[in-house]
Amino acid sequence: MEQNHASVLLAACEKRREERRSFLRAAGGVAAIGAGAGLLAACGNDGGQVPLVPAPTPTPTPTTAAPTEADVLNFALNLEYLEAQFYSFAAFGVGLDAGLLTGTGTQGTVSGGRRVTFTDPLVAAYAREIARDEIAHVAFLRTALGASARVAMPTIDIGSTASGAFSTAARAAGLISGASATFDPYASDENFLLAAFLFEDVGPTAYKGGIRFLTTPAVVEAAAGIHAAEAYHAGLIRTVLYRKGLTTASLITSADRISDARDSLDGPSDLDQGISPTGSGTSIRSNIVPADSSAIVFARTPGQVLNVVYLNAQAVTSGGFFPNGVNGTLRTSAASA
Amino acid sequence: MVEEMNVIDALEARVKRREERRDFFKTVGGAAMFAGGTAVAMGGGFTALQAQSTPSEPDVLNFALNLEYLEAQFYYYASYGQGLPSSILGGTGTPGAVIATNAGAVPFQDAAVRAFAREIADDERAHVEFLRGALASSAVAQPAIDISATPTSAFSAAARAAGLIGTGATFNPYADDNSFLLGAFIFEDVGVTAYKGAASALINNKTFLEAAAGILAAEAYHAAMVRTTLYAKGVTATSLIDATEAISNARDSLDGPSDIDQGVRPVLDQSGANNSNIVPTNTDGIVFSRTPAQVLNVVYLNRAAVTLGGFFPAGVNGTIRASAAN
Repeated sequence: MEQNHASVLLAACEKRREERRSFLRAAGGVAAIGAGAGLLAACGNDGGQVPLVPAPTPTPTPTTAAPTEADVLNFALNLEYLEAQFYSFAAFGVGLDAGLLTGTGTQGTVSGGRRVTFTDPLVAAYAREIARDEIAHVAFLRTALGASARVAMPTIDIGSTASGAFSTAARAAGLISGASATFDPYASDENFLLAAFLFEDVGPTAYKGGIRFLTTPAVVEAAAGIHAAEAYHAGLIRTVLYRKGLTTASLITSADRISDARDSLDGPSDLDQGISPTGSGTSIRSNIVPADSSAIVFARTPGQVLNVVYLNAQAVTSGGFFPNGVNGTLRTSAASA
Repeated sequence: MVEEMNVIDALEARVKRREERRDFFKTVGGAAMFAGGTAVAMGGGFTALQAQSTPSEPDVLNFALNLEYLEAQFYYYASYGQGLPSSILGGTGTPGAVIATNAGAVPFQDAAVRAFAREIADDERAHVEFLRGALASSAVAQPAIDISATPTSAFSAAARAAGLIGTGATFNPYADDNSFLLGAFIFEDVGVTAYKGAASALINNKTFLEAAAGILAAEAYHAAMVRTTLYAKGVTATSLIDATEAISNARDSLDGPSDIDQGVRPVLDQSGANNSNIVPTNTDGIVFSRTPAQVLNVVYLNRAAVTLGGFFPAGVNGTIRASAAN
């Protein structure tokens, strides 16, 4: 057990070094402030999103009209529907009120969620806090967008069947194997935490990637506040997984595999990190914050976020957690394969 | 007995949090509101209620750099027993020394807390270097910083204001795991609110805006790490949770009438179930903002409009240096 733990740590140490190296490589070694831009440029064709600054590559990316603020907020609303439904079912056994689901586009249904029978009362308390926050985000974005602009909740799959999104994601991550195997996020504290981990870092990267399209100071500040809340959630989940992983090492390896699976979906640049610490003995260092070498958290373009939630590295308009796609104008994942 | 205390504490916390949220709404006159001169009207659509002259982008980044110097020095001493290398401290303005009497590597008992400290130390140093790189020759020098542990130090003054220690006593954030976590707690949420309050000033430079959002997120991950750990340890050491509430209230007493700060005491819901409070948010699930001047109230440990004090005995460097008159 001890040995396993040590070898896991060593392997992770190697891995994080590599990740940070590849980040620097991807960013082309540009000076500090250029790193974010270089990183984005390295994403290549990301489904038509406007690049932040001209890419330092000889081939300019064709630009299309930037999405509007409403487009970006509606994109975020789709993600908040997903998160809120998952946590609401896990924490309370029920989904969102019907009054929070209406809007433009095709209103769908949510399938497969249920209450977790938590063993650790702290994990139950965390689940309830996050659920309430995510429901509040849904309500806030809906109000901010107004009745005529907000999108309806699309169809969402948060079930645990063998062909469902969670099992597909877990299979891609190597947590389960075989077409009939299932991953049930509601079966235990640990499964709930891993399922939460699957979503959580995606939120901060999505808000960070979307903020560039916002032009109204109040909207920027609101988005930054939701972005921060998502980062707190992610920090919470990662901290708990790391702590529990000190005695249950498989939690750390599972989280790392989920991170790798996300990374395999969203293109060649490394935008994701697991929770394996680096170093050993008294110089061990945790990795709660998934960040580049400047300790700056990663961004995903909307197209890359859709790669993750559609569980597809291709440019598609539906799949995974959104079997019929998201509602709104930002609905196509990036060609990241 | 402990069980009972927990229930009573939690009940009080529920009342308190409701009050806090009511206060929040009272302050903002019924609209969902954001500090920093702008507001979101809740009838659909966003409306800027007030226009304020916004500081320049380098002003904002330099302001952040001052805070990062402070955080990085604290975590560096706590993790490694020494401060940042002098090669990353120079710049414009008045360079200052780190007052580090009795500061040193924390004798951590909990390996996870030690690992967290090192991660945060390295991240904060990286933020210093990133901002210095972004600002290049306009980067401010590190001002004088007090992270010492003496009866008259900034940490002791902050702890005294929170009622954690009495007159003449010392709060030593390097003494043990829990003291370190409370020392970290004093800073962590402030960083998040500061970057959030500054984000809209960077709106015209998407590169800076995105970088600031990425640092904001890193600070929020840090804050969550510290708050989650304090909450979990507080299940058996309930005084830790009380201490976070006291520190939060002390911060709140400095930065003006609106309640923009929360400790980690859990909140009971209608069914009597505990809801943790790792994320300090308003009722919209949105993390609070502080204006730069409000941030300076907290780090100067002064509710009045002043230009120095507390953790920055000679003030910060740069153009944003005066705290708000609260």
